[in-house]
Order: sequence, then structure tokens, then C-alpha cells
Amino acid sequence: MGAVCVDEVSKDCAARAEQRTGHRASQSNLLGVFSAELGRLKRIAAGMGLSSADCEDVLQDVSVQALKRAAEFQSRADCLRWLTTVTVNRCLMEHRRQRTFRRRAPEILRRRSAAETHPKPIEEWAIAAEELEIVRETLRQLDGHLLAPMVLSYFCELDSRGIAEILNLNQSTVRGRLREARMILARRLTQRGVEP
Amino acid sequence: MSDRSCEEIAGLLVDYADGQLSPEDSGKVAEHLAGCAACRAIVKGLHKSLELSNIIWQDNLEQAQNLPIPIAQTAAKRHWAGYAAVAAAILVFVTASVVRYLVRGPGEHGPSLAEIERRVIDEGTAAKLLAAAELLAGKSYANGLVKSQYRYIVDNYPHTQAAAKVKTLIQGDT
Repeated sequence: MGAVCVDEVSKDCAARAEQRTGHRASQSNLLGVFSAELGRLKRIAAGMGLSSADCEDVLQDVSVQALKRAAEFQSRADCLRWLTTVTVNRCLMEHRRQRTFRRRAPEILRRRSAAETHPKPIEEWAIAAEELEIVRETLRQLDGHLLAPMVLSYFCELDSRGIAEILNLNQSTVRGRLREARMILARRLTQRGVEP
Repeated sequence: MSDRSCEEIAGLLVDYADGQLSPEDSGKVAEHLAGCAACRAIVKGLHKSLELSNIIWQDNLEQAQNLPIPIAQTAAKRHWAGYAAVAAAILVFVTASVVRYLVRGPGEHGPSLAEIERRVIDEGTAAKLLAAAELLAGKSYANGLVKSQYRYIVDNYPHTQAAAKVKTLIQGDT
């Protein structure tokens, strides 16, 4: 009887230890994926138009959520999908609060021209600034349901299947949204009278 | 070119600009574009707007590239390492003391229980101080603080494992 009790206690301890070890393994797995894919997550946040300070806040939040939910994921693909979805959703929240694409075109161009060996003539610079400003404004005003697939496709180079998984949509919806977003940008640029 | 044919072709323009149409559909669109300035302007607009979007995205990415890695993971790992060090130091000392006490007995020049208790407390305190110092070690702004922490451990808890480790660290540095 005593031996049975000892065995049961040992099994219980072993199960608890296994549970704890498994938890640690999945936790380090999720955090490992977060660390390995930080560049990709930064790319998403940058594509969604977040400033570097907001980008840091968002990634900080994502890392904290990753710590809290660490035990729920087993495979690397699941971890990555979850991290990407959380990052996109968090960025969309910033987009809805109109905190994205705040750096205006002249500032972007000034930084670019500082790196160029042959600066553009003033007229060319003015046209480039006007065109860039139209696109910046359009991206800023674009609804989140169009912006997210646009960024994931054209900046993060995911295919429509990958985007569909992350945004929980079907692939034809993703393709439809991509076409819609692209046409809005193109039309806005042509309608505003700038030579495309 | 009629508005109707423009409407029909509009649904294909994005895929045409991205080079994702079949040769047959691509030929149809090209044929339409040859006679329709409005649709040609849209195709140009599709290319141009994507190019400009990439400039904006890339500019944002360059700003974000130098961000530090969020601290959640590194801080958590370091805390666990510190707690583990404290726990291990206490466990080793308590085990050694109790075994020694049991083997020798209380009256044979071994340490008293009060002495063991004091040493356990010293081991724990020194290990905690060392763990805190190790958290700050490597940060340039905390060099002075870490060194004074090391000195404090060696001066006040000279017989602890933490003090022995500090001495090793100091010797390694010199």
C-alpha cells in the first residue's frame, strides 16, 4: 500500500515536472520565434506606417502577449502566424487612431536626397514631393481592411494564401482587396493631375 | 474605346501591372491599352503608386531598424537566472550543513543550529546581491555600482559561495 502511494506521488510529481518542462519549452519556442522573426515584425509595423516610437511600443506589447500566451502554441508555424496576426491587429489599432504615416513627404525626400550624390533639380523635387504626398495621404486614409493585405503582399512579399491565413480570410477576398487598394492608389494619383 | 470595354478591362489591370495574367488575357489587355489613353494612365498610376508606397514603407523601416529588442524576453531570462542562482546557493549550503550536522552530531565541535541558520541567511543574502549585480553587469552606466556591490559582498559575506564567485570574477578581470 505504501509502495503504491509512493508510486502515485512519484507519477504525480513526474507529470507536474513534465508539464512544467513542456511549458518552458513552448515558452522558449514562442519567444525564440519572436526573436528570430523580429525583423519581419518590424517590417510589418513599418509598412503599416508606424513611427519608430510607436513601432517599439507595439512590438513591446506583442512580446508581452507572447510571454502570457506562450503555452498555447506548439509548432513554429503556429507561433509565427499568431505573432504576425497580433502584430497586424495591433498596427491596425494605431492606424484607426490615425497615428500612422505621419511623416510628411518633404521630410522623407529630404532624408533620401541627403544620401544621393546628385540631388534633383528643384522642379523635379517639387513634383516628386507632391506625388509622394498624395500616396502618403491615400495610405493614411485607406481603410485597414485594404491596407493590411496591401502591406503584407507588396512590402512583406507574402502570397495570398499566407495573407489569408493571417487575416482569417479566403484567398479570393484577399485578391479582391489587393485589387481594390491598388486601384484606389492609382486613381487618386491620376485624378490629382500629377503626371504618372 | 468604349466605357463598357474599359469597365471590363478594369478588373484585370492590377494583375496585368503585376504580370500575373495568362498570356491570352495579357494580350487582350495590351490590345485594349493600345487604343485607350485613360486605361494606360491607370496602369502607369498602378506602377507609380506602388513605387512611391515602397519609398514610404522603406523610409519607415529604416527608422524602425535600429529599435532595441523588446525587453520582455531578456529580462525574464535574467530574472530566472538570478532566482535559480539564489535557490541553488541556498540548497547547496543547507544540504551540506545538515549532512555535516547529522554525521558529527551537535556536540562534536560542529556548528550549532543557530550558526547554520545564520550562514544560510548569509548565503541567501550574498547570492541575492550577486544576482542583482549580475543583472547590471555589462551595462556601461552601472560599472561603478557593480564593482561596489562586488566589494560589499566580499567584505561582508566573505565565507559565502557568492563571495568566492566574486573573487573568481575579479581575478578573471585582472
